[in-house]
Amino acid sequence: MRTKQEDLIRYKDGNLYCEPADIWIDPSKPVKRALITHAHFDHFTFGCEEYISSKETGILLKERVGDNIKITTFEYGEEFKINGINTSFHPSGHILGSSQIKFIFAEEKWLITGDFKLQKDQTCKRYEIVKTDYLISECTFGLPIFKWDDTNKIANDISKWISNSPEKTSLLFCYSLGKAQRLLKEISQTNFQGNIYSHGSIHKINNSYRKLGIDIKDTIKIENKKKIDELKGSLILLPPSLSKGSYLKNFKNIQTAFASGWMSIRALRKRSGYDKGFAISDHADWDGILEVVKKSEAKNVFFHHGDSEALSKYLVEKESINVLLFGK
Amino acid sequence: MSLKKFSELFGDLDSINSTNNKIEVLKNYFLSNDPIDNSWAIYLLTGKNNKRFISGRYLKNLFSQIYEYPQWLIDTCYLKVGDSAEVITLLLKNKTNSRKKKLSNISLNALLSETIPALSKLNEEEKNLEIKNLWETLPEDNHLIFNKILTGTFRVGVSIGLITKSISKLINIEEEIISHRLMGDFKPSIDSYEFLINKNINLQELNSKPFPFLLANTIEDKIFKNSINDFQFEWKYDGIRMQLIKRSGNVSLWTRGQELVNESFPELVEKMSHIKDDFVLDGELLVWNFKEQIAFDFSLLQKRINRKSPTRAIQIKYPIIFIAYDLLEINGRDIREIKLENRRIELEKYFSKWQIKTENNISDIFKICDLIFPKDWPDALTYKEKSRENNTEGLIIKKKTSTYSSGRKKGIWWKYKVDPMQLDAVLIYAKGGSGRRAGLYTDYSFALWQDKELIKFASAYSGLTNIEIKELDKWIRKNTIEKFGPVRSLKPEMVFEISFEKIQISKRHKSGIAVRFPRITKWRKDKKINDADSLENAYELMKKIS
Repeated sequence: MRTKQEDLIRYKDGNLYCEPADIWIDPSKPVKRALITHAHFDHFTFGCEEYISSKETGILLKERVGDNIKITTFEYGEEFKINGINTSFHPSGHILGSSQIKFIFAEEKWLITGDFKLQKDQTCKRYEIVKTDYLISECTFGLPIFKWDDTNKIANDISKWISNSPEKTSLLFCYSLGKAQRLLKEISQTNFQGNIYSHGSIHKINNSYRKLGIDIKDTIKIENKKKIDELKGSLILLPPSLSKGSYLKNFKNIQTAFASGWMSIRALRKRSGYDKGFAISDHADWDGILEVVKKSEAKNVFFHHGDSEALSKYLVEKESINVLLFGK
Repeated sequence: MSLKKFSELFGDLDSINSTNNKIEVLKNYFLSNDPIDNSWAIYLLTGKNNKRFISGRYLKNLFSQIYEYPQWLIDTCYLKVGDSAEVITLLLKNKTNSRKKKLSNISLNALLSETIPALSKLNEEEKNLEIKNLWETLPEDNHLIFNKILTGTFRVGVSIGLITKSISKLINIEEEIISHRLMGDFKPSIDSYEFLINKNINLQELNSKPFPFLLANTIEDKIFKNSINDFQFEWKYDGIRMQLIKRSGNVSLWTRGQELVNESFPELVEKMSHIKDDFVLDGELLVWNFKEQIAFDFSLLQKRINRKSPTRAIQIKYPIIFIAYDLLEINGRDIREIKLENRRIELEKYFSKWQIKTENNISDIFKICDLIFPKDWPDALTYKEKSRENNTEGLIIKKKTSTYSSGRKKGIWWKYKVDPMQLDAVLIYAKGGSGRRAGLYTDYSFALWQDKELIKFASAYSGLTNIEIKELDKWIRKNTIEKFGPVRSLKPEMVFEISFEKIQISKRHKSGIAVRFPRITKWRKDKKINDADSLENAYELMKKIS
């Protein structure tokens, strides 16, 4: 274990902080300047004086936080300086606009992956392998039991799931930013020809995606007063927050499913309360994390987001990679 | 046709919540597969089989060896997944891209009657090779079922009731008949399946099988609104519920757990075979105190339950009696549709006839239950309170006009127990004791059913005798699924009666209930895990008390 004060990036108040640049990465409380990897709610907060992000993330952020925020955006690969430190964004493949952040300081390269995946996703740029000396990686699914199936296989499973119950309304719960659009794109390429509806929150993001040039189907915004018969055999995309509570009473004769990486485990599937689980994730699986660690050629690796104990031990024992713990 | 189809069925059943849809899926499965695989499917789905060919630990070690995974990593994964067969299945994903030709269409029958049993004839090295070979040749989506069968942990949310309903729908014959056909042994074969779906109902064929048992419900307040004269009252004996069958001269003893126990009670079989009539009796087997004419404690009965061919000395030391409380069939005539009060008349009539006409004296091993005649409900309560004096658990209250139908049909038989604060639960974890009990597994956790899942509801460590503790300890060591430090998770197999003082809602427990002073009051070796109580029973109990 090492707590090196001269580390370029360290943990401060539970957030990643780069001291020489005096900038926070995805801070959970308002700060002066924040680098934002992507527009998921757990990666930014309201009230920062300045936000810096990729172009697409900037647009999505404005829609979520408001037009009046101060936001500076850069293209992927474009170098810019913060307090004299060379910084750049690179695609992380997580959702539209999601970025890795690279810093060069004292001739050493540091890379924060942000949330990432290597799998194909037609709604965002693919993960770019970036070489680095220090790697700070997420490890949400850092166990070898997590191995994702091809996206189109999952999409076909979903399509079959809907078609097998033509008398029912199929409710598919998924995160409204990223996952919903990815599923929408994939499902519209399967045999499923029925109507696809989406909840207002998802519908809004679908429109943003389209404005940003992502070619996804125009879905129907679900109205509470839709006639039950019209919904028979169709698919409705809903955010997971609506799965518990009275919202479901708007529908009759439904089947429910949740699209998440956690659904690959039967016990979690059973406990989730959904009828069905589809194991599809916007995070890297075990092999994905290993691949990034190796291809980055990093000599020093840090993990955050998730339980990294097993993954760290494995990399140290089997791959002789130097895994470090953050100085807090 | 195949393991593949069965894997799909498993996936479907696993993700369907509606009972009707499950029945539909099962029906379609039976329609589209051949009889032999159907009979294996029924065998697996009804939990008639949970033979363990290989332990979960063995499977994990083997995987670790073959694919060079550190054991600790597999253990960490296990903590997340909670099932060895599934952990290995998940880890095997994308690992077995060998060019071997895939066994994509192996039939359930071939797998279960040949491939897997053949493993036990191999030495360790050959066995490991063969399992590896099967992992590589079976398609990935079949791995879970295969691993679960290997480790004897196949379980899915399907009850015998669902199978009964789907077959009943399939061939359009009443559920009662199907349920009867499914009683007792079920050996997977073309014949056993054809018998199950035979559209011709022929009582002769059911000769060897007991009737589905009529079960009593816990008493509800509404019953006290009825006239006391509408009911027949009996003592609730605490023995082994049993059907004593004599058909075509052959006597068979069937427990409620559908086990044939002739070998454990040869003296009863012998005596009853002297009766001239054929019959089916429903009753209770007890170890009997002939001097005081009451039952001995259940613990003495346990000395007899698992002992086959008991010696004469054992038979004398633990004298048994069969107390009949119902007559279901007489000389080939099924009388279950006759009213209880009339069946009772028949029972008494035949009993007196047998007492006089049978060459050997039968009354030292067989009697019919005495009836109780309370004047009114408060009087019934007084009887109930006194039941401990004659070593019974309370009263059984039966509607005089009722017929004998299967399953838990409400409002026919009621149990009115002295101490209602009891549940039958399944042992799922054991922990090493300390002090005097160090080195033995003496702290136990028990679970109740919820939708085919066992949910932990109480821990207890008192109530067993030292001899029982030693016996259980031995069993625990042999039937451990997993070790987590001092705790072992166990194969769900043992049922215990747990008594407690208070039951209440608790948000801190996964079960949602908490009980006070739980203790073991009986080791129910006569019960199978499917006979254990459900969380729903616990909630009912709570409602009743508050």
